[in-house]
Amino acid sequence: MSYNAVDMSPLHLGEFEQMVLLAVLRLGSEAYGVPIRREIEGCTGRRVARGALYTALERLEDKGCLRSRFGDPRPERGGRARRYFTVTPPALAALRRARTSLVNLWQGLDRVLEPSK
Amino acid sequence: VSGRARPPRAAERLLARALAARDASGSVPGDLHEEFLVVHERFGARRAACWYWFHSLRIAARFSAERPSGVGVRETAKGDSAMRLLVRDIRHSGRALLKRPALSATVVLTLALALGANAAIFALIDALVLRPYRFHDVDRVVLLAETGRGESDRQETVSPANFLDWRRHWQAVQHLSAIEWWDVNLVGRDEPERVLGYHVSAAFFEALGMKPALGRPFVADDEIRGRERRVVLSHGLWKRRFAADPAILGQPVLIDGTPHEVVGVAPQGFDFPNGAEIWAPLAFSAETASVRDRRWLTVIGRLPPGRRLEDAQAEAPVIAGRLEREHPKANKDRGVQVHTLAGGMLDIGLPPILSLWQASGVFVLLIACANIANLLIARGSERHREIAVRLAIGARRGRVVRELLVEHALMAALAVPPSLFLANAALEAIKSGMPARLARYVAGWQDIGIDGRLVLFTIGLAAVTVLIFGLLPAVQASSKDLVSALNEGGRGGAGGHGRHGLRRALVVGELALALPLLVAAGLSVLGTNRFLNGPQGYDPDGVLAMRVAIPEAKYPDAEARRQFTSRVVEGLSRIPGAGSAAATNILPAVGGNMGRIPEIDGQPPPDLANAPVVDYRAITPAYFETLRIPIVQGRRFSAADREGTQAVAIVSRSMAARYWGSESPIGRRVRLQGQEWLTVVGVAGDVIHDWFARRNYPTIYTAYAQRPTDFMTFVVRTSGDPSALAPGARAAVRAVDASQPVFDLMTMRELLRNRTIGLQYMAAVMAAYSGLALVLAVVGIYALMAFLVTQRTHEFGVRVALGATAQDLVRLGVGQAIRLSAIGVVLGIVLSLALGRLIEAGLLGVVSTDARVLAFFAAFLVVSTLAAGYIPARRAAKLDPVAAIRRE
Repeated sequence: MSYNAVDMSPLHLGEFEQMVLLAVLRLGSEAYGVPIRREIEGCTGRRVARGALYTALERLEDKGCLRSRFGDPRPERGGRARRYFTVTPPALAALRRARTSLVNLWQGLDRVLEPSK
Repeated sequence: VSGRARPPRAAERLLARALAARDASGSVPGDLHEEFLVVHERFGARRAACWYWFHSLRIAARFSAERPSGVGVRETAKGDSAMRLLVRDIRHSGRALLKRPALSATVVLTLALALGANAAIFALIDALVLRPYRFHDVDRVVLLAETGRGESDRQETVSPANFLDWRRHWQAVQHLSAIEWWDVNLVGRDEPERVLGYHVSAAFFEALGMKPALGRPFVADDEIRGRERRVVLSHGLWKRRFAADPAILGQPVLIDGTPHEVVGVAPQGFDFPNGAEIWAPLAFSAETASVRDRRWLTVIGRLPPGRRLEDAQAEAPVIAGRLEREHPKANKDRGVQVHTLAGGMLDIGLPPILSLWQASGVFVLLIACANIANLLIARGSERHREIAVRLAIGARRGRVVRELLVEHALMAALAVPPSLFLANAALEAIKSGMPARLARYVAGWQDIGIDGRLVLFTIGLAAVTVLIFGLLPAVQASSKDLVSALNEGGRGGAGGHGRHGLRRALVVGELALALPLLVAAGLSVLGTNRFLNGPQGYDPDGVLAMRVAIPEAKYPDAEARRQFTSRVVEGLSRIPGAGSAAATNILPAVGGNMGRIPEIDGQPPPDLANAPVVDYRAITPAYFETLRIPIVQGRRFSAADREGTQAVAIVSRSMAARYWGSESPIGRRVRLQGQEWLTVVGVAGDVIHDWFARRNYPTIYTAYAQRPTDFMTFVVRTSGDPSALAPGARAAVRAVDASQPVFDLMTMRELLRNRTIGLQYMAAVMAAYSGLALVLAVVGIYALMAFLVTQRTHEFGVRVALGATAQDLVRLGVGQAIRLSAIGVVLGIVLSLALGRLIEAGLLGVVSTDARVLAFFAAFLVVSTLAAGYIPARRAAKLDPVAAIRRE
């Protein structure tokens, strides 16, 4: 089996991980659990299980793709703080690479894959 | 967003524990909390709580299933968290169950049937015995009763004078209130109607903690004689007869021919006691108020705040002692009892029936558990090698047992929803079988159904069954010594004799439990059939009956009543297709009775306190002819037996035997409680008035024309379909008095069916349960035989090779089945005899354990097991011996 020379990055992102990272980027300073899930559901139209999201956030943080900080404790959360996420530079680079790969692969296929009208 | 709303704490704690160190700050529960508030706002507390539970469990499951990855894995010191272990075990067992779908489905279905049967019975006991009354603070309502002379456990009703004294003396009970039956003819705005009502003391509604929906309850003033013509209507009656008219208050309604003022309307659903629809104040006349030796009042009261039932019970002997001192003649050796309302109002016939059902349910459950244990042990044999290998490579025994238990618990959990579904279907069937006119007398009947308590009960019971059927196989499967298990592999991985011994014992136990059930069912079916279709002493076919109560206000004297009755009887006999017609105060198979103590001319006068009563009937001349009751001696009544002629009586054969022995009673004289002497002119055949208490009971018949009653049942015979006469019968009454309601208009056959409805239920439920038990037991023995035969296939092959015929092999297999069933049946017979008393009590003492029934079902069981043993043996015998020997 041979490896693609372009993909030498230690960071490989799965599809769902990419979605999570993109949602965090879109939300900016307001990126914590509840809106992240809404953002993904809103943009993709698919249901996101909370458990899947939280374990993905945990995994991404472990991989160094996300960093988190805590806000102030809030009464409407039972006195708990929100955990805000930001995307780290290596993850940003990985996202760019993934996008470039996809865009490259897409080229010349527009007519084949255009939704039939 | 309301700041008050909080997610369920248990779910919160569970989630926090599942996440543990991975989310120490609680950001995930925090998020869920935030969302919870939105859901709470939109859909309310209940759905929000469910929502929270659902999602916290899902998140917890997800976290437990997914180990933390990559750098910085934060494993707890102990290794796996309990939550994660549980989730893993559940997944594991789910897969194990799916691997053997037929077995799992069999276990779940068996369990669902057994749990459903028990859930249905629990629902009945809960609704009818434990909580028949559901009004507010029902725990504080008590029932006060006198006890029989010298019989402290016999509950009796109360005399008016004693009640009035009680009301003055009781400290630990307040709002004492007497209740007297009052069946009324109500004439409202349309058709006259018969309505069930009660005369009650002023404190009645307060004692029950009931506030009228409209108007007022009774007050002390209503108890004054002359001011008692006031009524409170039930909510249902108010809506049905008065179109829920709020202006009804203060209006007069015509009851038994006299106007009564409506003072209140009871709240919806209040129908105490016995589905009452109307209440009037109980106002004693001076004469009645001094009656101490006749008892007909039911008395309730309320515990004041701070007093408990025990306080009232402690006071009872004080009250009883005082009354005994002050009025020794009526109260000597009589006690006073305090019951809870549910306990005191309980129909004494109910507990034996329900305990018999409960015992049947437990038996079915045990049989099902034995069956399931058997299946699981068989499966355990198959898995034995797998488990042995796991133990050998270091799995802990406790862990293996736990996994198996989780697997069994999962099956039990899966059985709960279908069991509730089955229970619901059974309860619906039970409810639909009961005529509404009878159902209303059964307190709690309308509350029978599935509720939270029942769900909890079923879950609890399912957990218990896991311990019964699951522990044994789990321990068995993991306890065998490893070396032999691993070595034994070749022979189908089967266990040794100990295991089969256990399985045989289980099958024997199933048979032993099934037999008493079958016997009980057989007895109740036979008994019910006898009651319905056996000889009654009269001919119930082709007879239409209806009841009428003529009000005193309109028919004040004997002459008026005589006129009414004879005109209705005449009208009935003129209906086209009708034969003879008659009237009686009490008809066989109808609830209610009238008894009198007879004094026989020439014999010492009876002791009124202790002498036995005879049933008392006042009849018109054609009564015996209409019901086809034979006259065995003397003559019937005739039109000549009327007022002013010699007072006459006819006695039943059993009465003649009781009072005159072998002598003829004709021409002898008898007198009923100080009234005029009656001359006996005939002896009639005995009848079964009531199958439970009044079979061939001594009865005296008097001529209606000589002593008219105000309460009567008319009967008319036809050669065709009696129900076709119903419109004519109504018209016959209307022609005499258009405002006179008719009730219980039905054929004698219907009356009999209604009268024995309890027994029919009994028989149907017992038949269903014993059928279930039989099927389970036979399936159990079949499964065991099939398994044992498969195990011996190799041996069978060798035997055939050595010259055994197919017949020999079948004999071998069947012989084993017969040995097992013989042991089971012998134990079952012992158990049936031991349980005979319970069965007889449950069947209200009307049937006794019958050796023939016992023998029949014992033989039936043996034959069933024989068939269950024959089929697999036959199959094995047909196998090619070479293939059988090769099969390893």
